[in-house]
Amino acid sequence: MTILLLLQQVDPPTPSLLQVDAGLVFWTAVVFLIALGILWKYAWGPITEALDERETRIQESMQAAEKALEEARKIQADNERARREAEQEGQRILREAREEAERLRDEEVQETRERIATMRDQAQDEIAREKQSALDDLRAEVADLAIEAAERILGEALDQSRHRKLVENMIEELPQN
Amino acid sequence: MPVRQHCALSTGLFLLALVLLLGSPGLAHAESDVEGDPNAIGHSANGYYLDVMPIGKIELPRLLLTRHADGLSFDVYGTTKEALQSGRYVITDGEGNVLSEAEMQYAIDQKKHYNFPLAAASGPGIIIDFSITRHLLAVFLSALLLVIIGLRLGARYRRGIGREEAPRGVWQNMMEVLILFVRDEVAKPAIGGKYSRYMPYLLSVFFFILIGNLLGLIPWGVTATSNIMVTGTLAAFTFVITQFSGTKDYWRHIFNPPGVPLAVKPFLVPAEFIGLFTKPLALAFRLFGNMVSGHLVIVSILGLIFIFAAQFGAGVGWASTLLSVPVTLFVWMLKFAISFIQAYVFTILSALFIGMALEDHEHEHHEEEPPEPHEALLEQAEEYVPGDGVSTTERPTPQPTV
Repeated sequence: MTILLLLQQVDPPTPSLLQVDAGLVFWTAVVFLIALGILWKYAWGPITEALDERETRIQESMQAAEKALEEARKIQADNERARREAEQEGQRILREAREEAERLRDEEVQETRERIATMRDQAQDEIAREKQSALDDLRAEVADLAIEAAERILGEALDQSRHRKLVENMIEELPQN
Repeated sequence: MPVRQHCALSTGLFLLALVLLLGSPGLAHAESDVEGDPNAIGHSANGYYLDVMPIGKIELPRLLLTRHADGLSFDVYGTTKEALQSGRYVITDGEGNVLSEAEMQYAIDQKKHYNFPLAAASGPGIIIDFSITRHLLAVFLSALLLVIIGLRLGARYRRGIGREEAPRGVWQNMMEVLILFVRDEVAKPAIGGKYSRYMPYLLSVFFFILIGNLLGLIPWGVTATSNIMVTGTLAAFTFVITQFSGTKDYWRHIFNPPGVPLAVKPFLVPAEFIGLFTKPLALAFRLFGNMVSGHLVIVSILGLIFIFAAQFGAGVGWASTLLSVPVTLFVWMLKFAISFIQAYVFTILSALFIGMALEDHEHEHHEEEPPEPHEALLEQAEEYVPGDGVSTTERPTPQPTV
């Protein structure tokens, strides 16, 4: 009993929170190094590499998309410009054609008008000429008739050429129409 | 807000029920002694046993490199008890006095023997104690979990999920957030251009500490990072990496600081030299202190229940749970936050030390200068995409990077 009472006084020493423990340091170092080695090769290495790769790719695709958008915009602008130019060209052609047609029509009218005028002039000339010849004929006829009448009246044949001269002088004195 | 309150309340009630269920035998025979001492230090310190509440304490193997009288040997025992029963080892009272055979037997009967320091029965004694302690078990478990998580995650990326396609699932996205955080918020700003070389170390140390911290928060959990030897080892890695990364310039700044009067150098150089070691030491103690303090506070606050029960009767003990349990819950949540914060702090400080060692002071004593304004402008200019007047205004303005 006395021994037991004595023994109860033998309490374990209070453990220290700052206990130096080389074994623990050794194990921790070994375990950590092994973990580090495994993780380096099979975890952090591939993971960081994958993340970098993914980021680069996302960055690249974003840039590519933006470039594509830029290009599309440029193409659209080009198309727009081309369309506008074509439209203008078309309008220009149409306008020119219209002007040409106008001009051609005017020319035609002018020509026709000129031709008509010429024809009219020719006709008038013809008429005048016909009239002159008719008048000449008539004059000759009248002179002959007058001579014939005078011969009958006088009954005597005068000198044909002298008579004629007389009559012609008389006709000359007659009014022209 | 009411939902969250309800959540906290139900969690509190759950914890209360847990304490009532698990704590009742404890309340009945109030821990070890009549004062109801919760033995906060004993719970937080390292030990050669695992405390698994309803089953009891499970002894852990002892691996000892010892110089006996008959020479050097590496002894392996399943338990401390076996080591003692082999006759090659004895226990002492911590002050160098070897306990007698009867005392040893009594300690074994009382299941206290693993709390006594072990010593060789003869010869110069134990050289290195490689025993599997509970903190070491926590280290093993943390590393194992980390490797499993890392391999599973790495396999996903190697399969192309997250590489060619978007990451899938909560788990991968959550881990990616942390990995990218370490890369973009820790490694890149602290180390700079050569950051990728240090990424595996920084990620390993971050996740190792994080898992170690979080393991201490689950029931029966042991916090590996609440041991100064563990945090010290990690800090030592940072120290070694820092020194091996050191440029000529870095060493010159320590042993022959430029632009310092000769008379000041005898004071400055030793200070700089000591600074080499205080940085990792502070790193080790910061993490250790943060983790062990949370542990001590939780054990102490819960221990109040047993102290009250022992001092004023079981009724008062029960009543005190109404205060102790919510406070414990609060401290637990605080520790949860601290687990992340300290993992981050350790990692960013490691990265900063490495970054400082890598730095080349091209323009003397202007290394703390913020980036030139035109560089920031240049960065903004690169962000600007010409050609579209509308989208640039809608684009969020680039945040200044830290």
